[in-house]
Amino acid sequence: MSTAGNAEQFKQSFREEAHEILVDLESALLELNENRADRELVGRVFRALHTIKGSGSMFGFEDLAVFTHNLENAFDEVRNGRLQVGAELIDLTLSALDQIRAMLEEREGAAESEVCAGILARVRKLAGLHEKPSAKSQSSKTQHGPSPGTGPVRQWAIHFAPGPDLLLNGSNPLLLFGELRQMGGLAVKASMAMVPPLGELDPERCYVCWEMVLATAVERDAIRDVFIFVEDSCELGIEPIGEPQASPAASGDAAPRGLEEPRASSGGRRSYDKPDTASSLRVPAARLDQFVDLVGELVTVEARLAELSARRDDPEVAEVAEEIERLTAALRETSMNIRMLPIRATFEKFRRLVHDLARDLGKDVELTMEGAETELDKTVIDQLGDPLMHLIRNSMDHGIEPSGVRAERGKRATAKIHLSARHSGASVLVVVSDDGGGIDAEAVRQRAVERGLVAANAQLGEGEIFALLFQPGFSTAKQVTDVSGRGVGMDVVRQRVESLRGTIEVASKPGQGTSVTLRLPLTLAIIDGLLVSVEEACFVLPLASTLECIELSTADIERANGKHVANVRGEMVPYIRLREHFGVRTRRPELEQIMVVESGEGRFGFVVDRVLGNCQTVIKNLGRFYRHVQAVSGATILGDGRVALILDPERLVADAMRAGAHNHGARASPRAGPGTLGPPARSEQGIVGVR
Amino acid sequence: MGIVREETGTGNELRLEGAIDIGCASELKSLLTEALGSGRDLRVSLEGATYLDVTAVQLLWAASEEARRSAIAFAISDVAPEAVTAALAEAGFTSFSALAKVG
Repeated sequence: MSTAGNAEQFKQSFREEAHEILVDLESALLELNENRADRELVGRVFRALHTIKGSGSMFGFEDLAVFTHNLENAFDEVRNGRLQVGAELIDLTLSALDQIRAMLEEREGAAESEVCAGILARVRKLAGLHEKPSAKSQSSKTQHGPSPGTGPVRQWAIHFAPGPDLLLNGSNPLLLFGELRQMGGLAVKASMAMVPPLGELDPERCYVCWEMVLATAVERDAIRDVFIFVEDSCELGIEPIGEPQASPAASGDAAPRGLEEPRASSGGRRSYDKPDTASSLRVPAARLDQFVDLVGELVTVEARLAELSARRDDPEVAEVAEEIERLTAALRETSMNIRMLPIRATFEKFRRLVHDLARDLGKDVELTMEGAETELDKTVIDQLGDPLMHLIRNSMDHGIEPSGVRAERGKRATAKIHLSARHSGASVLVVVSDDGGGIDAEAVRQRAVERGLVAANAQLGEGEIFALLFQPGFSTAKQVTDVSGRGVGMDVVRQRVESLRGTIEVASKPGQGTSVTLRLPLTLAIIDGLLVSVEEACFVLPLASTLECIELSTADIERANGKHVANVRGEMVPYIRLREHFGVRTRRPELEQIMVVESGEGRFGFVVDRVLGNCQTVIKNLGRFYRHVQAVSGATILGDGRVALILDPERLVADAMRAGAHNHGARASPRAGPGTLGPPARSEQGIVGVR
Repeated sequence: MGIVREETGTGNELRLEGAIDIGCASELKSLLTEALGSGRDLRVSLEGATYLDVTAVQLLWAASEEARRSAIAFAISDVAPEAVTAALAEAGFTSFSALAKVG
């Protein structure tokens, strides 16, 4: 592309792809660290480096290409059995990845930094590579190719038919031929047979295909590596011609046979290890958000149409309305699915964190994963990285014992941190667990008392004690380290998870380990709810947290002596009357409805005038002016055009408890009795936040 | 970089200057179509070109085929910078090189 805008677009596209490759590369390196003789992993690392180098050069990241070329050469040495994988090579390459990330962001001086030079010098020394005159003086287009190989030379017939959009993607097939030439002698013939008449020709598409003969000592995989960046979108055939030549002559001097004889099996075969249907589309997230937003608008309009149709006794309108309803539901489902991403990439990032922290802390820790294919809404995934990072850091620093202590306790020398994800109804459970020393509940309680978070004589269950860990500034660490101990991280975890409408549960056994479970909604864009009303105002309560609906009569209120508590089959459930909470001053109806919800603080009821029914609503933000209104998580537009607020039960409970504590002039006790809006006793697990 | 179309005594001339790549492919197609549509001879000069990418080559190829079908004299000047011809040869455009020698 020649215009600056398009060039930047391609660069950005490359950056995004490179970051994904780097995540995979990092995982491969860390796996290789565990299995140093695994040739498949070596190949994976080599190909990733090769792709970053090749495509980097193609998109103008020359410094990055030169830098990566040196790493690629080192792993080529490993591939050829001339270099053994060791901790130094792994650590150097991991450090190099950080530099590549900096180069991708085009941070000033990233490429010329002493760190880069130091890494390169050590990599070259380790791999026995000769130092090149200067990185800048090399032309990445012509000197970055793989080694020509040392085995017997044979000829390969290569059929290369780029996909029509190859040029639009910024790729230049001619650069690939340069790489092939470094492997040996190359004869190239372009075929114009598929070029259409001028009038029908799309000037930006590629119609040319190439037949080549390459005489080289390298294997098929190495030839294929040249096409790594384009092979998904091209026809590629690589077939040997005849037997290898006995003479192990330098492949660069070997002349290929001509192209007069057509290759036996060149005709239109696709890349041999890729299914024909393999294709994907990279779409900017903002465009996807816009699409989902428009679907949301459509859902609202569809609801209006349904209501209109119900009011009119017109079968034709009803038929169209039903069809629109069906299509809208399908479109909404599809649009939600588009936003779903596997959590794997997020999990994989932590391999590096665990590796580096284990080294810094002098601990031996392995990270295991389960359910990485579990899918979550992109927005949830995007915001999950920080909380998980804090949990893992905390676990590494405070949970996992030093090796000596583990040995004394008869535990496995290598500690384990396990990341898992799985679906549970409309939620996803993401669990971070370790086999460390567990949480000392008494120490947490004492610390909370010292900080004035709970009264010294407060009777707290273990779960309630664990919930204190997520209070702002809370830390039981005797020492603040670079890793954790300032009591900031866990508060961040709570805030972030609550902002995702999620909950946190902590379970811990002394000496055996700790498990932190994040319960998160599948999506943030749509919510299944119950539509309720108080006078003319409508509200939506999340269906996921709603247990049941019961009636509340004047007689019931009298039996409770006016306290806000209802007897639900023998269980005393405190309730909040929304009419009072929102200051609706009109007279309440004789018969009200209690929506019983399960909150992090136990079972609570929300008293409303009427229950209007189920609804699946698209969540709209209230806008920045209302960002501090915490009991309301959004709004939705009803079919009749009215706006309904979507309530956050957990926040409502927290608000009411705070108000109750204020009215009673004392700190709210999580075990307060009925009538004080305190929750009933909970299980041994602590829960923070709700939904 | 650019494409200049000029009418000469005998027909049209397109002068390709600088790097002719996908960024000006649409313009090149348009000018080639226009020139051939006039029914007059067409000569393409590569003297000022520094680079031709695949899109340019396939457009010139298609134009030559169109000219042949319409009995219009079409020629690509053989006075092209060495770098351009070498790059085209390396990319295997031997037919294109033969075409260029016509002019």
